[in-house]
Amino acid sequence: MQTIATIDYIIITVYILGMVGVGIWFARRHATFDDFFLAGRSLTTPLLITTLISTYYGIDVLFGDSQLGFTDGVVAWFGYARPTYAFFVIAAFLLAHRLRKENFKSLPDILEKYYGRETRYVGAVASFIYSLPALSLYGFGMLGEVIMGWSPYLGMLILGGIALAYTLAGGFWAVALTDSIQFVMMCVVLAIATPFALKLIGGFDQMYIFLDPNYFEPMGDLSIWLIIIYASTGLTILVEPTFYQRIFAAKSYKNVRNALIAGIFIWGAYDWIITILAMAAKVGTLKGIIDPGVEPDAALLTIMITALPAGILGIFLAGVLSTEMSTLDSYCLVAGGNVAYDVYRPMAKKEISDTQLITTTRYGIALSWVLGFVMALAFEQMLGLWVFMASILISSVTVPIIFGLYIKNFRKPMAGLLSAGLGLLSTIILNVLVMSRGVFVGEEETYVLQLGQWEIMQEYIMYFTVPISLLGYFFGLLIDKGKNYE
Amino acid sequence: MSNWELFTWISVIILGPGAIFVFILFLRDLPELLRKTDKKIS
Repeated sequence: MQTIATIDYIIITVYILGMVGVGIWFARRHATFDDFFLAGRSLTTPLLITTLISTYYGIDVLFGDSQLGFTDGVVAWFGYARPTYAFFVIAAFLLAHRLRKENFKSLPDILEKYYGRETRYVGAVASFIYSLPALSLYGFGMLGEVIMGWSPYLGMLILGGIALAYTLAGGFWAVALTDSIQFVMMCVVLAIATPFALKLIGGFDQMYIFLDPNYFEPMGDLSIWLIIIYASTGLTILVEPTFYQRIFAAKSYKNVRNALIAGIFIWGAYDWIITILAMAAKVGTLKGIIDPGVEPDAALLTIMITALPAGILGIFLAGVLSTEMSTLDSYCLVAGGNVAYDVYRPMAKKEISDTQLITTTRYGIALSWVLGFVMALAFEQMLGLWVFMASILISSVTVPIIFGLYIKNFRKPMAGLLSAGLGLLSTIILNVLVMSRGVFVGEEETYVLQLGQWEIMQEYIMYFTVPISLLGYFFGLLIDKGKNYE
Repeated sequence: MSNWELFTWISVIILGPGAIFVFILFLRDLPELLRKTDKKIS
């Protein structure tokens, strides 16, 4: 395997210093909390495209999608990635339009408006847990190991610490502008890497020769239940806190809509290239070009290090770091906002100044980073961690947010509180139960709990928790005899 | 060339020249965005 050359390290170092520089440059450029948290609501279409794509696609997609592409083929795109685009279309034409009619700053703002303060707090907790940068830090651990030869802990600390530093300093302006640089890096490096990877394995035709025909079956041989669960994680876009933040930060609804429509093509292309590169990595293992024992979620990185020449490899690795830093900074910022704006501000008995709010947001950012670090250590693999965090958010806030936004007669405090509260509690309890009482099955890459004849995979938890949230909502509607909220 | 391969090269064009085009549009907006942050601190 090729080693990483000095020129590659120089490129990576220059890139990292550039990101920190942007953070420092913006450090003192916030007059208000709106500036710090929503960039003064002035994002244009190109900036929205770059920040939406770079934020929503992190290393979990890069290595999570590629893990599935490596083990199962094109189903990674058709079964796992493609359904998400339908949710993006819904978000572009229905959700964003509805959200821009109000002057919200965060997802829990919506819950408070329609159900009261208690539901706001539950939503803030769900959003905070979902936004913990555990996946990003997990990825940095892996990157540090592969790129620098560091232990995973050191990679998480140093690489994750750099993203933390510029987010703490520069707020959303720094996040959005670094996202733009990171966007072009992460997309262009994949475009450059593709011909190199295909050349390494002897061309596209080698895939037909070496891979099982199932690799080219759009729905592969994954169970339909698993495909439904993977596809339904795309639901997160409908209640995604960083996505909401960008809708609120846009200049107008038109900017959001245009950005999402353009973004769907870029997301689609990105997912497809990852799938193809992962399949190329599989061929690489079968031909003995790369280590046959490579872990599925490290296959993409391994084939790139083998295929790319010095210099180009440095740009690729900086692009991979970009992919993750752009995600970590955005989620840390949202989690910090959950602490300061969504919980601390309404709980405080006195008026909170913008300066105090920004300072508390910075404390929240640091807290989320530390908790994300702990969570990253607790999980054995990336896909399970992603499913856990997505299920927390989907199960707690999807039902109350969607009903609250669209059905006036359903805006009862008890409905919102029971739906969000039961959704959150049941997701945490079931995940803990499956992980503590179940066994980790390497072949399935997940925890499985045996209940009599039934095998419950961690991924199936949402089949229980979303109906629980829905039942809680309707039960709340029945017992709440008070007036509807606005 | 198979459909899979064609799809792959179209994706490469979207990710390469496509992303650079979006970035150029962003750079066009950048002076205006930076002016806004300057106004806020002045």
